[in-house]
Amino acid sequence: MTSLRIFFVGGLTSYRALFNWLTPWILIPSFLIAPLFQILLFAYIGRTTHLESDRFYVIGNALQYAAVPCLFAMGNTIGGERFQHTLPLVLTTPAGRLPLFIGRSVPVIANGFVVSGFALVTGSALLGVHVPISAVAPLVLVAAVTAFSCTGLGLCNAALGLRVRETAVTSNILFGFLLVFCGVNVPLSSLPAWMSTIAEGLPLTHGIAAARQLAGGAGLGKVAGLVGAELLIGCIYVVGGYALLRLMEIESRRRGTLEIA
Amino acid sequence: MAAIEAEKLRRTYRQTSGFVRRRTKTIEAVRGIDFEVNEGELFGLLGPNGAGKTTTIKMLVTLLIPTSGAARVLGHDVVHSARTVRRNIGYVFGGDRGAYERLSGLDNLRYFSELYGVPPKVQKRRIPELLELVGLMGREKERVEGYSRGMKQRLHIARGLLHDPPVVVLDEPTIGLDPVGARELRNTIAELAQAGKTVLLTTHYMYEADALCDRIAVIAEGEIVAEGTPTALKSVVADRTVVEIEAYGLPAGALERVRASPGVTSVSVEEREHVQLLLVQAPKGLELTQQLLGCLGDVRVGRVAAREPTLEDAYVSLVTGS
Amino acid sequence: MKALRLVAIGWLFQMKMLSRSSFDGLLGILWPLFFATTAFFMFRTSHDSRALLYAALGSSVMGIWSSTSVAASSALQRERWYGTLEAIVGTPAHFSLVLIPITLAMSTVGIYSMAATLLWGRFLFGIGVHIVHPLLFVIAVPTTVLAIGLLGFLLSVTVVRYRTAWALGNALEYPVWLVCGFLVPLSLFPDWVRPISWALAPTWGVRAIRQAALGGAPLWPVAACIGLAALYGIAGTLLVDTVLRSARRTATLSLT
Repeated sequence: MTSLRIFFVGGLTSYRALFNWLTPWILIPSFLIAPLFQILLFAYIGRTTHLESDRFYVIGNALQYAAVPCLFAMGNTIGGERFQHTLPLVLTTPAGRLPLFIGRSVPVIANGFVVSGFALVTGSALLGVHVPISAVAPLVLVAAVTAFSCTGLGLCNAALGLRVRETAVTSNILFGFLLVFCGVNVPLSSLPAWMSTIAEGLPLTHGIAAARQLAGGAGLGKVAGLVGAELLIGCIYVVGGYALLRLMEIESRRRGTLEIA
Repeated sequence: MAAIEAEKLRRTYRQTSGFVRRRTKTIEAVRGIDFEVNEGELFGLLGPNGAGKTTTIKMLVTLLIPTSGAARVLGHDVVHSARTVRRNIGYVFGGDRGAYERLSGLDNLRYFSELYGVPPKVQKRRIPELLELVGLMGREKERVEGYSRGMKQRLHIARGLLHDPPVVVLDEPTIGLDPVGARELRNTIAELAQAGKTVLLTTHYMYEADALCDRIAVIAEGEIVAEGTPTALKSVVADRTVVEIEAYGLPAGALERVRASPGVTSVSVEEREHVQLLLVQAPKGLELTQQLLGCLGDVRVGRVAAREPTLEDAYVSLVTGS
Repeated sequence: MKALRLVAIGWLFQMKMLSRSSFDGLLGILWPLFFATTAFFMFRTSHDSRALLYAALGSSVMGIWSSTSVAASSALQRERWYGTLEAIVGTPAHFSLVLIPITLAMSTVGIYSMAATLLWGRFLFGIGVHIVHPLLFVIAVPTTVLAIGLLGFLLSVTVVRYRTAWALGNALEYPVWLVCGFLVPLSLFPDWVRPISWALAPTWGVRAIRQAALGGAPLWPVAACIGLAALYGIAGTLLVDTVLRSARRTATLSLT
């Protein structure tokens, strides 16, 4: 029960307090304008190079934006607390670490999910991309799973935040890697082999692939394997991120770097 | 001609709250004050936090436009001749922000020299002079982020003097400094006045105003409640005596009983670590000690002493309006 | 003359300050590279070396805009944060002459990113950069930097009341890349977009750089760039006075 409270209450308040992303002045430009223009940018490059259909880019970029809050928000949670000197306070409480950090990720996942959905709908409308009605429910599922797996990566990023100061920089770099590697705009087959191999192990890759098939009319059963893979990768990153967090926490306690803001 | 004149100077702030339904609240920060600072004078603006000192200063240095009334610096209006005023006034604010921390103190001074339009030749001479004056010589090539609070504050002073202004305004320059640093800074301020500059200083430290200022204006809740030389202000309470009582945990109601006690003109309490220091003012010659102790009931009492009033007592009496 | 000196010294001062934050600078170079890499992979499928060079030149200008849009939109906010805004406003210098060097320095730093993108394209994607008019290229690049810096100046003044302008600056990154034709020809857009593209100096900057490198008449776009830069400068300067006066009236200079 206590764990549950830390999970929900702690998660929500820290999310609010730490970066106030709930103000429309940040939400609208960061989560509505930016994803939309990223879709348009790559869709137009796609039209120039005659590489793929508009739908390819709408799905890829919209789903990538599920990852953005997950990377930035998780990293900021740690970085922000360090900035406000509350990190040692939080870490000295006996609260269980897993509900503490995972709890912080729930609003983040929800955020990523909404952003992704908005980008998908408006991007499709603007570019005249048709997505079958029957695909909507499965797409929602895939977006949620993708947001979850990206949060795993966000957790790793947050753990890094215990060591390096600039989580905003690491978040941006991770975003860039996902952009290039995960088949967001470049089909995996067009990437060098070593890159597509790495992509197989990253969150987002399978989610995007599944979503593209769904939007193309495939049933949920056909993409079950891809969704499962995304979910599995997500779990691995969550567990890995959690382990890394504990490791970094112990490490930084030993080296006394927690206070350093 | 006065170096600084304020005429019915008034400034209000509007605060808005709420996002959907906006509510506005008007706050009177400065409520129409008049004062003059003569050329070459060191004038103190004294008052508690939130009394309107900084707002007044910001209107004088052209950072705020008065809501009504007027102010002039060397005869130039602060609203209509803002640039002329800026050329003639040096503004030093307290606190450790206000410099480019990633760069050296010297870089900061060079940059601001440009902004003040100081010719390169003059800069070469003046910057070392100022570094010497504020005691930063030898540390000027270090990054400001490594400076102590006192060093940053002294850098502010140097910055405010780059263009050799005839009028210098210092807003709580010693705030947050250790005692040694604060004393050094006061010496520097005294030197400025000796060099013939008109200095306007705000502070809430009494001894600072007492030691430095030729004249003082006491400001409380946006109004000037008294003005004069430190000696003249002290005379407000010259016919009084001050009883200091240390009490360990004042019981509820004790303060009210003391205040209502016959003969008492003003009471204030200073919270110290484990003890409250009660300061009671009463007319000279009145023996109140026993009567006051009676008011306190059976609380444990430490030191009890009667003494001559200081400028601080005059200030307390003025600010609390008794 | 005095104004020119103030801008030049201010620019040097800002460059010095920017050079002290290498970690941010690293991101400034890496960030456009991710997009350039994606674009290179996309253009590579066309097997047209000219298309790749077109993409390389266009994406090299992306970094100039990126470093300007984010930093310029929050330039005033940053001065507030340092506590230096009041100190600057309290000086007799005209405020636009203080602000222009700040945004100009930011666009200048973008040249690093430009070089990095061209080298990246050269060594990882084998995009040979052969420049037809080297002299005009050398003119086109600083002109573009100047025009983008002044666009940043206008932006910084326009968004001064916007507390979280960095978010807006971030969001403006892609639209300009897109609308100014960094990577796609303007002819692909609906007609109503075209006047917007023409009013934005980066459109002409990237065109000048391309024509200088690939062959063409880059002098016209250079002239358009300079003309627009002057317009931004004048508009921004006029706006600065209004903005500052209102800030002194509403007491918003010192707020963080």
